[in-house]
Amino acid sequence: MKRLGRAVVMEIFCFLKQGLTPYEKKKYVWKMLYIYMLGYDVDFGHMEAVSLISAPKYPEKQVGYIVTSSLLNENHDFLRLAINTVRNDIIGRNETFQCLALTMVGNIGGREFAESLAADVQKLLISSSCRPLVRKKAALCLLRLYRKNPDVVNIDGWVDRMAQLLDERDIGVLTSSMSLLVALVSNNHEAYWSCLPKCVKVLERLARNQDIPQEYTYYGIPSPWLQVKAMRALQYFPTIEDPNCRRSLFEVLQRILMGTDVVKNVNKNNAAHAVLFEALALVMHLDAEKEMMSQCVALLGKFIAVREPNIRYLGLENMTRMLMVTDVQDSIKRHQAQIITSLKDPDISIRRRALDLLYGMCDISNAKDIVEELLQYLSTADFAMREELSLKAAILAEKFAPDLSWYVDVILQLIDKAGDFVSDDIWFRVVQFVTNNEDLQPYAAAKAREYLDKPAIHETMVKVSAYLLGEFSHLLARRPGCSPKEIFIIIHEKLPTVSTSTIPILLSTYAKILMHTQPPDPELQNQIWTIFNKYESCIDAEIQQRAVEYFALSRKGAAVMDILAEMPKFPERQSALIKKAEVAEVDSADQSAIKLRAQQQTSNALVVTDQHSANGPPPTVPAVGPLTLVKVPSTSGNAEHTSEGQALTQPNGTLTKIDPQTPSEDLLGDLLGPLAIEGPPGAAVQPQQNAVSEVGGVPSAVDGAAIVPVGEYSNSVQPIGNINERFYALCLKDSGVLYEDPYIQIGIKAEWRAQHGHLVLFLGNKNTSPLDSVQALVLPPAHLKMELSLVPETIPPRAQVQCPLEVLNLRPSRDVAVLDFSYKFGANMVNVKLRLPAVLNKFLQPISVSAEEFFPQWRSLSGPPLKLQEVVRGVRPLPLTEMANLFNSFRLMICPGLDPNPNNLVASTTFYSESTRAMLCLIRIETDPADRTQLRMTVASGDPMLTFELKEFMKEQLVSIPTAPHGPTAPPTPPVAQVAQPTSPVKALTDPGAMLAGLL
Amino acid sequence: MIKAVMVINTQGKPRLAKFYDFLTVDKQQELIRSVFGVLCSRAENVSNFMEADSIFGPDSRLVYKHYATLYFVFVFDTCENELAVLDLIQETLDKCFRNVCELDIVFNYSKLHTILDEIVFGGQVLETSSAEIMKAVEEISKLEASSNSITLVPKTVSGWRNR
Repeated sequence: MKRLGRAVVMEIFCFLKQGLTPYEKKKYVWKMLYIYMLGYDVDFGHMEAVSLISAPKYPEKQVGYIVTSSLLNENHDFLRLAINTVRNDIIGRNETFQCLALTMVGNIGGREFAESLAADVQKLLISSSCRPLVRKKAALCLLRLYRKNPDVVNIDGWVDRMAQLLDERDIGVLTSSMSLLVALVSNNHEAYWSCLPKCVKVLERLARNQDIPQEYTYYGIPSPWLQVKAMRALQYFPTIEDPNCRRSLFEVLQRILMGTDVVKNVNKNNAAHAVLFEALALVMHLDAEKEMMSQCVALLGKFIAVREPNIRYLGLENMTRMLMVTDVQDSIKRHQAQIITSLKDPDISIRRRALDLLYGMCDISNAKDIVEELLQYLSTADFAMREELSLKAAILAEKFAPDLSWYVDVILQLIDKAGDFVSDDIWFRVVQFVTNNEDLQPYAAAKAREYLDKPAIHETMVKVSAYLLGEFSHLLARRPGCSPKEIFIIIHEKLPTVSTSTIPILLSTYAKILMHTQPPDPELQNQIWTIFNKYESCIDAEIQQRAVEYFALSRKGAAVMDILAEMPKFPERQSALIKKAEVAEVDSADQSAIKLRAQQQTSNALVVTDQHSANGPPPTVPAVGPLTLVKVPSTSGNAEHTSEGQALTQPNGTLTKIDPQTPSEDLLGDLLGPLAIEGPPGAAVQPQQNAVSEVGGVPSAVDGAAIVPVGEYSNSVQPIGNINERFYALCLKDSGVLYEDPYIQIGIKAEWRAQHGHLVLFLGNKNTSPLDSVQALVLPPAHLKMELSLVPETIPPRAQVQCPLEVLNLRPSRDVAVLDFSYKFGANMVNVKLRLPAVLNKFLQPISVSAEEFFPQWRSLSGPPLKLQEVVRGVRPLPLTEMANLFNSFRLMICPGLDPNPNNLVASTTFYSESTRAMLCLIRIETDPADRTQLRMTVASGDPMLTFELKEFMKEQLVSIPTAPHGPTAPPTPPVAQVAQPTSPVKALTDPGAMLAGLL
Repeated sequence: MIKAVMVINTQGKPRLAKFYDFLTVDKQQELIRSVFGVLCSRAENVSNFMEADSIFGPDSRLVYKHYATLYFVFVFDTCENELAVLDLIQETLDKCFRNVCELDIVFNYSKLHTILDEIVFGGQVLETSSAEIMKAVEEISKLEASSNSITLVPKTVSGWRNR
């Protein structure tokens, strides 16, 4: 088959080379599309496909449009060739051509199309002379263009038009317009208030079956699709205030809720229930009266028990959504038994829905039942679901445990039944709980001891039991079978079966058992020492180190009791599990109504131990019941830190290594970290280094351009991720995250056009409480004009605000703008200074230059200050292709073939600013194949300042590749010596004439 | 919005694939393969819905319908109503391809594209009335037929000249 495919590809290829009749052309272009679908990358016939668009005959034109829209993406150059033809077809009189053109524009939906065609498409949509066939396409085409570029719809002018469109009689046009409205409203519901009553009217018209043509009535249901869309649109409005409107809407909804029944005919069933489920969603959204709500729950309860799997699925899903509504949880709980049955459904889609629902409906009252059900189900569940299942069971057990011993039971059972699917987080968490709750310790140790008696246990179980027994087995010493020796023997039995990651834990356990054995038992001591001796030469550094240290320590006897004493309590924090469960918010252009709603309603289920920064006053801990951890004063940790932290022999040093100000993100670090020796305190904590020194290691003293130093953190909130890396990444791309910490995320989206930049800052509150005193100040350098629109003072919970920022580049400079951003969360004042990625290379536009253009230019820019040359040393060695890629990413176009020497690169680009306007820049890099760490760089442009700045900019980039890790791996030889004095760039130049000669 | 429409046969060969966001060929094939991988493992008499988060990114759903040797698959996000989409497949395809078989689709590849373009437009549902869809499609075939008969003579002539 594959061979055949290739043969056909070749055949087509040959044919396309020759002149073809339009008919043959059409035939082969269709074949090409088919082959493309089968997975062959057809990169040849694009031109033919595009050229068919301008064919005069319908069949050729049609294939041209259809194939082009499948093969090309919106940025393809060929599309530019077609744009005129497309426009002519759209504004032309031929309706079939209009349809074709609209279809392609709608399917590709590129930016360029949006700009040049949106006005024409709008005209078609509102024109009264067009047939509905064209107008409905125009509506969807406009929607697609709007998605690409929201500016194409001017809100002020469009609102009235949109409202008019909803009065349309033709159902086809109305359906399309409704889709358009949904997209518009999802972005800005306030502007479209006037459309709300119209939507209700449409629904009424449909519900009463007034004026609905027969072809839109489907099994007696008037246009189900339009009903669904209209109800969807209504869900984007927060409420309906007008009482009349609300009443008539509820009448319609009531009619839908009452009038739908499960029938035999599958098609009718689907259509009717599609409408019904949408009505349910709308009822939930509108916070209807309690009566109606319980009616909905009753309906859903009926659905989750029917035979039709699709309806069961949707019933469960909607019940999960229903959980968001207050006051109905109790009526949902009545269906618990049925939901648990659904866990055993043959369809995995339904099982997942049931699991979600159980997870969502769990609270203190039914946690025991549900978690036990989940545990039981775990042993029979299929593998695809086990991980999710165990995680959810663990979270529920933690959140709603009636008592802690039950929690320990659940987790141990979980590890026992599905050890492979229990992530480390889960057992770390149980260890934390036990450590922090003294009452629990003997119980947990006894339980762990019981599990060790089982013949075959999972490695995770070995880890957790060894850890617990090492810490707390002395509490059991009086019980039968729990003497230190017996415990040691039973743990040691497992040693041959475990992997290297578990051995260190076992060694710690041995050391602790030994220490707890008072008076010392010489026999046990010898046994354990033998083991330590054996592992002293282990190939694994971690094991070896522990063995050596424990051996040395245990020989010291009682003097080291303190070091091997029990772990102190862990600082209280939000569960990593719960954090894991909180889904990362994805900002999609098209927010779904449900998601918006979920954001408005602060998650009532999640975040229980709502622990924020450890040094701030703990926020009022919600009534979580027994699970709230005992709060440890953070100073106690600090004291030990300093006293013990000095000694190198602190292998079992306590948990105090964790900086009390920075609750570490991962539990692993907390739990295992302290057992090993850590670096000097503080070395690891401050990731934020002085930004200046990181920019290519060019010391600021020598570097003429003032790079604004980025302030250190004056506060305790730690950013997530490396700010510098984020900045560098954003220098290369146009959207991404600029800054993130536990409370806020600042995203950035930028568009650059010549000397203008349009940035949007997305400030997203990640919390369930608002952020106050938000302030954003832009400190622009002298060469940039920046205007930041007003930033609201408060960001509501889980909301995202967008702040547009306009940038105008006045002249070339490498200075960087800084965003001074601050906010208050609880009692924490957070202030960060972030560099904004409005850097020199953003104002570049790659341009390819042919040899005929290049050489005259190069010659005419004969020497300083327009053309500067410098030898750069200490360059990070890079293969030439990678260097070319780097240049490309900075929007410098590599012009291959201009320089005969393969070791050289020639690049060209255009720089835009107010003072220079569009200015061509030429760059030549000569590398030395023998020594990749040095190169000679020549930069030429028509503006002395630009030449200098661009040269310095490139030097910074070459000396330190921003994507590479910084710090210790920085280039070995800082290029201090070579940096030219900014005041006299001329010095660094050699004879440009000779260079030019070499080039020619 | 609807992200993709696919028709895959029970062997896993795509018979029609249309993606409403541009994807590279490799990515398209990978998606088709993973969709098929999920579909073929599903039993009869289960729901027609699947979560496709792992294949198409967060919040994507997949609705499919199994006809004879073909799977009709729609992939869409949470902004659409699942049952309504399922209904869309059933209603229109039932009428347009009554007793459809795989060969029909292979040989009427261009027709299928035309029909699909009348149903789904740039990821949005354009028309739900099968009568309207059939009307539009018939209009197009008429146009095609009429222009073909006209071009028949000059085409051969121009073919002659080229030789």
